[in-house]
Amino acid sequence: MTAALSMSGISKAFPGVRALDNVDFDCLPGEVHAICGENGAGKSTLMKILGGSYRPDAGTIQLAGTTVHFTHPRQAAEAGISIIHQELSLLPHRTVAENIFMGREIARRGLLDKAAMRRKAAQLLGRIGAEIDPQALVSSLSIAMQQLVEIAKALLLDARIIVMDEPTAALDERGSRTLLTLVQNLRREGVSIVYISHRMPEVMAIADRITILKDGKKVWTRPRDAAPVGEIVRAMVGRDLDDFYPAPPSSPPGAALLAVQDGTNAAVQDVAFTVRAGEIVGVAGLEDSGKGALAQALVGDAPFSSGTITLRGKPVTLRAPRQATAAGIGYLPGDRKREGLALHQSVRDNALLTLRSMAGLLARPQGGAFASNVIDGKLREMDVRAADFGQEIGTLSGGNQQKAIIVRWLAQASDILVFVEPTRGIDIAAKAAIYETMRSFADSGRGIVVVSSDMPELIGVADRILVMHRGRISGELPRGASEEDIMHLALGLADQPHREVHA
Amino acid sequence: MTTVPLPSSRRAAGIALNAGLVIFVVLYAAIALLQPNYLEPGLFMNFLRRAAPLLILACGQLYVILTGGFDLSMGAVATLVVLAASILINGDPDATWAVIGTLYVMGIAVGLVNGLVVAFLKVPSIITTLGTMLLVNGLALAWSGGAARGDLPDNFRNLGRLVWRGVPVIGTLPLAVVVIAGFVALAWWGLNGTVYGKRALAVGDNPRAAELAGTPVAVTRILAFVVSAVSAVTAGILLGGFSGVSVNAGEGLELQAIAACVIGGAQLLGGRGSIWSAVFGALSLFALFTLLNILGLPQALRDSIQGLILIAAVGASMWRSRKRN
Ligand SMILES: Nc1ncnc2c1ncn2[C@@H]1O[C@H](COP(=O)(O)OP(=O)(O)OP(=O)(O)O)[C@@H](O)[C@H]1O
Ligand SMILES: [Mg+2]
Repeated sequence: MTAALSMSGISKAFPGVRALDNVDFDCLPGEVHAICGENGAGKSTLMKILGGSYRPDAGTIQLAGTTVHFTHPRQAAEAGISIIHQELSLLPHRTVAENIFMGREIARRGLLDKAAMRRKAAQLLGRIGAEIDPQALVSSLSIAMQQLVEIAKALLLDARIIVMDEPTAALDERGSRTLLTLVQNLRREGVSIVYISHRMPEVMAIADRITILKDGKKVWTRPRDAAPVGEIVRAMVGRDLDDFYPAPPSSPPGAALLAVQDGTNAAVQDVAFTVRAGEIVGVAGLEDSGKGALAQALVGDAPFSSGTITLRGKPVTLRAPRQATAAGIGYLPGDRKREGLALHQSVRDNALLTLRSMAGLLARPQGGAFASNVIDGKLREMDVRAADFGQEIGTLSGGNQQKAIIVRWLAQASDILVFVEPTRGIDIAAKAAIYETMRSFADSGRGIVVVSSDMPELIGVADRILVMHRGRISGELPRGASEEDIMHLALGLADQPHREVHA
Repeated sequence: MTTVPLPSSRRAAGIALNAGLVIFVVLYAAIALLQPNYLEPGLFMNFLRRAAPLLILACGQLYVILTGGFDLSMGAVATLVVLAASILINGDPDATWAVIGTLYVMGIAVGLVNGLVVAFLKVPSIITTLGTMLLVNGLALAWSGGAARGDLPDNFRNLGRLVWRGVPVIGTLPLAVVVIAGFVALAWWGLNGTVYGKRALAVGDNPRAAELAGTPVAVTRILAFVVSAVSAVTAGILLGGFSGVSVNAGEGLELQAIAACVIGGAQLLGGRGSIWSAVFGALSLFALFTLLNILGLPQALRDSIQGLILIAAVGASMWRSRKRN
């Protein structure tokens, strides 16, 4: 069988890094080929070359045996390649349907046929199980929903090759399962799928073959059966990764740091919980459960309209993120590109943003704690990989951007950190490092609220898990809960006997 | 991710700096070719003196541009300053210093209004400052009765006009050049000597991310408009010195200031640029005007060329930023 796609000898250098070094990659019709590798290994770069966004320094691309040279993403799209990029690229002020049909509008007698586009958009969204109104503005959608719109957009093209660059990073359990089913269906239709993910269980579930990239070089390509998870991790990271999750704390949690009572606003109702010193409290729930809104309320971004927040026993009002920061609550937002990064500023400036924002106006920007060597040390400690911390953060790989923002909050000595999807797009070794960092942050007598759609992550790292359903906390689970326990509460089945879920 | 030698970490900023500087050097060389005496220190100092208002305006405008906005009201503020000075001083040299204080208070008030409306009512800055531009212009004209009235005393006009002679090395030193040096130094310090500059860049780059990181976004924006207004008052005072009282003293200067920043490499809509973008951009633009003047182009044509340059500079800036993304 001729490969649907075959890339050979691909190399690409950026100022300061060799992102790809003589990489071969191919994908058969009806095959799911997964690419695994650490942050910055070159996965997205390889796919951007395939999609015509970057031109390779060397190497050739063949589609079904014919050599192609793309100089523009449009050419790749016309050749039947559809790419769902890691960083979402929808236009926020346009509707969902307009975004899906961007550049491929349906016209009738020279006029846009909006009704037809809406119908087709609804149909595509239905196919991936997304309940999204085609006329909604993209800016009103959560990041997970935007991800689904991107996928619908890719399906519009009837592509022969679909690349998914971390498609589930933003999705909750339900969304991920739907997506995996969709991938299976596409494969049955003979579509070739390149699948990039840091989530090992997913890769093991759907990949036919797996390719490992490390430092821009291909390590190996193997059929899934010949690639146990341990081998994959060793090839990616270069060593074994034994204790992935940190050990639970040895001493019981201390005094209450943060207490919320009757917290209510448009998105959440009657939320009440406490975070004690030394504790990591997980928040689980489906996409629309209000778990994101809870985080926003804690940091004053979308405050509670009624209810009280108490910090170390003192009631506080948090009406703006700056107030929360000043009160000692830090926030790692879930949407890195839109809410976390100043893309054109340097890695250093991004990491220093909060410190500089909380300092006196006349403080020198490079003085004392803001000095390059101090922040560089912290960035290196977090293993942020960049050729130079003076380079724009937008040029870093997704995972390294995330680590840099975590450094921002570690540098600002907060008491409570509210982390939303802290390991979104982060490789497995870096995940372990971040969990370790979170644990030692908590062990030093501070607290963390971690909101995540990654259930294994919550189970592994949280001391307690609050599960949300329709804006309320539907239950609380101690350490050692199972995914089924969480799902049970997340689906709002708390009042029914446990058995029914598994039946 | 093998590390290979890196040209320089500050390459991007370096290029931006050099673009404005290179354009200026080229244009000034062209001037000198036509009129060799422009190479004499005296004429160069005179060139700087005449470029002073634009240069100072560009420095103020840069603050607003970095935070992602525009200030279209600065030309109107400069006009107001000239007219208000002549009316308030009313021929009494002893009143000069008090009046200058009053002018700054008036300017800061306009800047505060701009900033407050943009930051809290979330009106786009281009609309807000267009509004204050019309408002300030109208008030100034109404106050002066629609025509230039009175004269400015010498001690006021000297701020723009005075030239010290017999200065070692450079021969002559206009007071306006000292004012430029002081103003640029202050503007540089604001952006590079305090955390303000980094905050402004972050706000211009991604206001939402900055807000969530604890940056005082509103205060940062308001301050930028205040700095811009202060620069407009300073420029207005110098203008009054050069050319006396006129009802269109500051006309069109806001667009020139924006063009200057962009020519110097600052990015419209924020997030990129340095004080040198404003300085060398303004010098380039003024050199171009001088060149057109020497070539003997009529005023009307010079206005069209200025419009052309503005579109070209802004277009190029937009194109550059799109190419980057
Ligand atoms: N436009 C760019 N300019 C400079 N360097 C870049 C650019 N794009 C990517 N790089 C560098 O190339 C390397 C590979 O990046 P890439 O985004 O392909 O990694 P990745 O494998 O997708 O990582 P992640 O899992 O974090 O998404 C990184 O070191 C990155 O910093
Ligand atoms: Mg990537």
